[in-house]
Amino acid sequence: MRFGGLTAVRSVDFTVNSGEIVGLIGPNGAGKTTFFNCLTGLYIPTEGTVSYKGTVLPPKPHLVTQAGIARTFQNIRLFANMTVLENVLVGRHTRTKEGLWSALLRGPGFKKAEKASEDRAMELLEFIGLAHKRDHLARNLPYGEQRKLEIARALASEPGLLLLDEPTAGMNPQETRTTEELVFAIRDMGIAVLVIEHDMRFIFNLCDRVAVLVQGEKLVEGTSEVVQADERVVAAYLGEPFEGAPGEAEAAEVAAAESTTSNTKGEAQ
Amino acid sequence: MTETTKTPATPPADATPAPTPRGLIPLPLAAARALLLTGGIATAASTFLAWTWTSDFPGDLTVTGYPGGLQWLTFIAGALTAIFALASYGTRGLGWLIPARNNAPLVLTALGAFAVTWFTAIEIAAKLGGLANWEPGTYIAVIASLIPVLGAFALPQTAGETTKDTLKAYIAKPDRIPAPQPISPWAQRAVITIASIIGLAVFTYGIDTEYGELFIGFLIVVVFAVWALHTAGLLDRFSHMVAANRSFTLAMGFLVAIAFPFTQNDDHYANIGVNILIFGTVALGLNIVVGLAGLLDLGYVAFLGVGAYTAALVSGSEFSKFSGVQFPFWAAALTGAAASLIFGVLIGAPTLRLRGDYLAIVTLGFGEIFRIAVNNMDGDSGPDLTNGPNGIPAIPDLNILGFNLGQPHDIAGFTLGRFANYYLLMVLIMAIVVTVYTRAADSRIGRSWIAIREDETAATAMGINGFRVKLIAFALGASLAGLAGTVSAHVTYSVVPNPYQFAGSTPPNSAFLLAAVVLGGMGTVAGPILGAALLYLLPEKLDFLQNKSLLAFGIALILLMRFRPEGIIANRRRQLEFHETGQLDVPETTTLTDEPAVTKAGA
Amino acid sequence: MHTLPQQLANGLLLGSMYGLIAIGYTMVYGIVQLINFAHGEIFMTGGFGALTVYLYILPDGTPMAAAIPLMLLGGAIVSVLIAVGAERFAYRPLRGAPRLAPLITAIGLSLALQEVVRNFYPGADKALAFPGLDTTHDIGSVTIKDADIFLIAAAIICMSGLAWFVRKSRTGRAMQATAQDPDTAQLMGIDTNRIIVIAFAIGGFFAAVAALSYGLKYGNIDYRMGFLMGLKAFTAAVLGGIGNIYGAMLGGLVLGIAETLASAYINNIPGMQQLGGQSWANVWAFVLLILVLLFRPQGLLGERVADRA
Repeated sequence: MRFGGLTAVRSVDFTVNSGEIVGLIGPNGAGKTTFFNCLTGLYIPTEGTVSYKGTVLPPKPHLVTQAGIARTFQNIRLFANMTVLENVLVGRHTRTKEGLWSALLRGPGFKKAEKASEDRAMELLEFIGLAHKRDHLARNLPYGEQRKLEIARALASEPGLLLLDEPTAGMNPQETRTTEELVFAIRDMGIAVLVIEHDMRFIFNLCDRVAVLVQGEKLVEGTSEVVQADERVVAAYLGEPFEGAPGEAEAAEVAAAESTTSNTKGEAQ
Repeated sequence: MTETTKTPATPPADATPAPTPRGLIPLPLAAARALLLTGGIATAASTFLAWTWTSDFPGDLTVTGYPGGLQWLTFIAGALTAIFALASYGTRGLGWLIPARNNAPLVLTALGAFAVTWFTAIEIAAKLGGLANWEPGTYIAVIASLIPVLGAFALPQTAGETTKDTLKAYIAKPDRIPAPQPISPWAQRAVITIASIIGLAVFTYGIDTEYGELFIGFLIVVVFAVWALHTAGLLDRFSHMVAANRSFTLAMGFLVAIAFPFTQNDDHYANIGVNILIFGTVALGLNIVVGLAGLLDLGYVAFLGVGAYTAALVSGSEFSKFSGVQFPFWAAALTGAAASLIFGVLIGAPTLRLRGDYLAIVTLGFGEIFRIAVNNMDGDSGPDLTNGPNGIPAIPDLNILGFNLGQPHDIAGFTLGRFANYYLLMVLIMAIVVTVYTRAADSRIGRSWIAIREDETAATAMGINGFRVKLIAFALGASLAGLAGTVSAHVTYSVVPNPYQFAGSTPPNSAFLLAAVVLGGMGTVAGPILGAALLYLLPEKLDFLQNKSLLAFGIALILLMRFRPEGIIANRRRQLEFHETGQLDVPETTTLTDEPAVTKAGA
Repeated sequence: MHTLPQQLANGLLLGSMYGLIAIGYTMVYGIVQLINFAHGEIFMTGGFGALTVYLYILPDGTPMAAAIPLMLLGGAIVSVLIAVGAERFAYRPLRGAPRLAPLITAIGLSLALQEVVRNFYPGADKALAFPGLDTTHDIGSVTIKDADIFLIAAAIICMSGLAWFVRKSRTGRAMQATAQDPDTAQLMGIDTNRIIVIAFAIGGFFAAVAALSYGLKYGNIDYRMGFLMGLKAFTAAVLGGIGNIYGAMLGGLVLGIAETLASAYINNIPGMQQLGGQSWANVWAFVLLILVLLFRPQGLLGERVADRA
């Protein structure tokens, strides 16, 4: 993935197997979110493909979700003026079919589908513990509950792979632990999870496998022990000189490139 | 960067250590209430006196013995003040009027009575040339209406930091309204029925006002009364009741709408009614596009025009290019809607993939091009289709199942004229549009529209095909406008290019339609209809506005966006925000109030 | 029937005017992502500002050579004041509000400005005569007026001035930085409010230049002239790639030439005999906009805009 002259993510080969929790870590601006955006079709990769269960996915976000990959966002992107329940119902979009005509005519099929969607959405709200707030507006939820609601909304699309972008950012230790349990519970539902996180303890507790992304390239991949023991990772995180230049500065550069992506995407094809 | 919309700020109650509530005017509470009550009664009573000596002032205010014209409005405002004053005493049976026991309803009713009385008195003096035209009754009214205002501001009120804050506190709505006692569904329906009848009476009175002064007086009384009910918390209670009885309320709404022409003797007012309905229907269609899906369509009236021209072409008018062709109404309506649909897709398909601003400008261009094109297609400077500026006149009246809408009919002792017939047809069309709106809004597709409006990136990440659902919203909006256009062509006998422009001094035009939606309240059913009624009646009733109505609307749009972007009737979602119990405990800082907007600004 | 060179010259002239107005759209859009709908009206008021100087301030019989700079000054003062005032009092309070809010405000402002002129400028409910520069010159087969020479000269001077300003001056570079990323620019100590005001002011000034040229060329102005000119200038900005100042000028020229040629020659195409002439020119300009959006939405010189997740 290149933005103008800058390569944000380069040759990252990455596989997530079903029933696995995989962590993706790296310093700020290493390209983790860019990688996510490539996976989910928000960015069109300059080179390379994303495949899911053996099929290559087209770089269109709605088709990726349709295929079974759901995501959350780093800076929570709920539908702020919709209720908690409605947010989850929107997540059901790809798993329901009722179009305009069916909505206007309100046949028995429509009512059944709406009922089924609502039941499923309520199950998910029970699962994350927000059922009692179904009619609250998303914007009025406390921060931690917004994060949870985003996960429920993603789960509503019945994904096989769930991408979590910093699910514990801004949380206190207790909330982090709850999220941890939630992720385990999601795994136990048979959903593969890919997590981006800064919280090392969270990642190493949680993940079966961890990959480290630095300056858009995959540095190491392996179990927690392997990654923790790798000195290059330590170097990247502590800001040791890395190929002659301070890692921080490099990372900042990539971050700057990322922040201007809105203007340079045209050349990324 | 993140200047948020200001909600009316109530001064924090604990700003100063334990202030004792006292009135701006130092008087004991008992005296304040007594002033309110006696003042209200005196104001109402003064309307039984003569206010002027000549019947030159419209409405004939010269009669001693009963009120007339504007005096009726003063009478009602005075009576309302007295009733609220009685309620503040805790009179049995009236306690429900002020559930929160706050001052605002009292202050506002008193101000309303004062405003309408003084307005009338000043108009008399201004119109007839001097105070000499006042009768003793006028002096009594002017003084009597001042008394409750004094009383109102003598009511004890926790003072704000400045006098301005204190004044604001006087008319502020309390944060918490005590929950109403549960009442049975039947009682709720009775309340809705009574409210609908009152609504019909008020609306009919407004439409039937015969001169500008009366209409202004009417607006003053209605605005203050509604404001008082709002601050008393009664409107919230009512909307909860409505939410619990949705279909009943809709049914009542349509019954009331159907009842309107039966209250009219003069077909002229039914004509106003039918125009408001056409305007309101189109505004509601636009609301799907703007309010639900968040797409700014600035050429919406062109779709109305496409429908109208299509209907005119197949109406059998001898001036139509296809003068031999005469479709039955249902076929003409479908053709009109289909033609608009096609144009909607043609315009929407290239633009809806792009940022919303492009849509705004392309639709604006389309609206203008439509007008230019129909002006030119006279066979001279363009292909022969629309007769150019002369339009297609002599469109025959509709005949539905043998019922000629052009002829007066007698139904149950009432005579329904031509416009009343069309009015009833438009009620039917509006019923269709309201049904489409409510059903679509509360479904998978409606949720995806709102999701797209809220955050398009997140919506596509949830599997919504943004382009597809936007195109559906846009095309649906276009075809509903086309449908309304087919009726409007028959109502006005002829179609000409002129009304179908971006901005003009009379509705409907795209700017007025947008203003109706925004003023009434985006994303609501009642909002655009109310907005349309107001925007139609204001220039219709107020002659002096006619030349400056566009100026007034331009300024009104700017002020509206600045101070009350949600419009008169706030969306249910915004209501939820304020009234969901317990939600106010949520700390402000952790909500994502401005999150999407900020992200967008940063991108 | 004019010759092809004459048509090209006409298109070029019209296009320069579009380009000058389009600068205002494109600069404001580039920095705050706002379509300033009222910009057409800022153009219009610039014309009335210039006319006011001519009618009410200058003594009768002032030679045009002396009058034009003063008229330009008058028009520029009016346009710039209105543009900056609109930013300060109408748009700035809405920064961070939902996207629809500033657009609706802009429409309100546009209506209000038109109506203020119509209601309160003496005689402005009809088109008002504007002093023209009608002396003609023949250059080969092309005939141009003095007003055309003024327009071309003004467009060249303004554009090169702007190009220098944006590239070389401190403020110009700050402006580019703000366009790239307003938040970061602010963190770097750039007063973004000031930059935004300057963008509005430059747009206003260019609009005033265009309005004066319009008056001199066509010999009259009216309160509605901003609507279509604004719409087409916006089209030009999109055509060239919105946010790009060179694109705005290029888009203006392309649009002007395409429109002129379409209205002159399209009736020679079999089946379209009746779709030529001035009355259909606007339709063709609009069709061009649709085509551009369909096939090259980022415009001729633009880069595609994507949302950041």
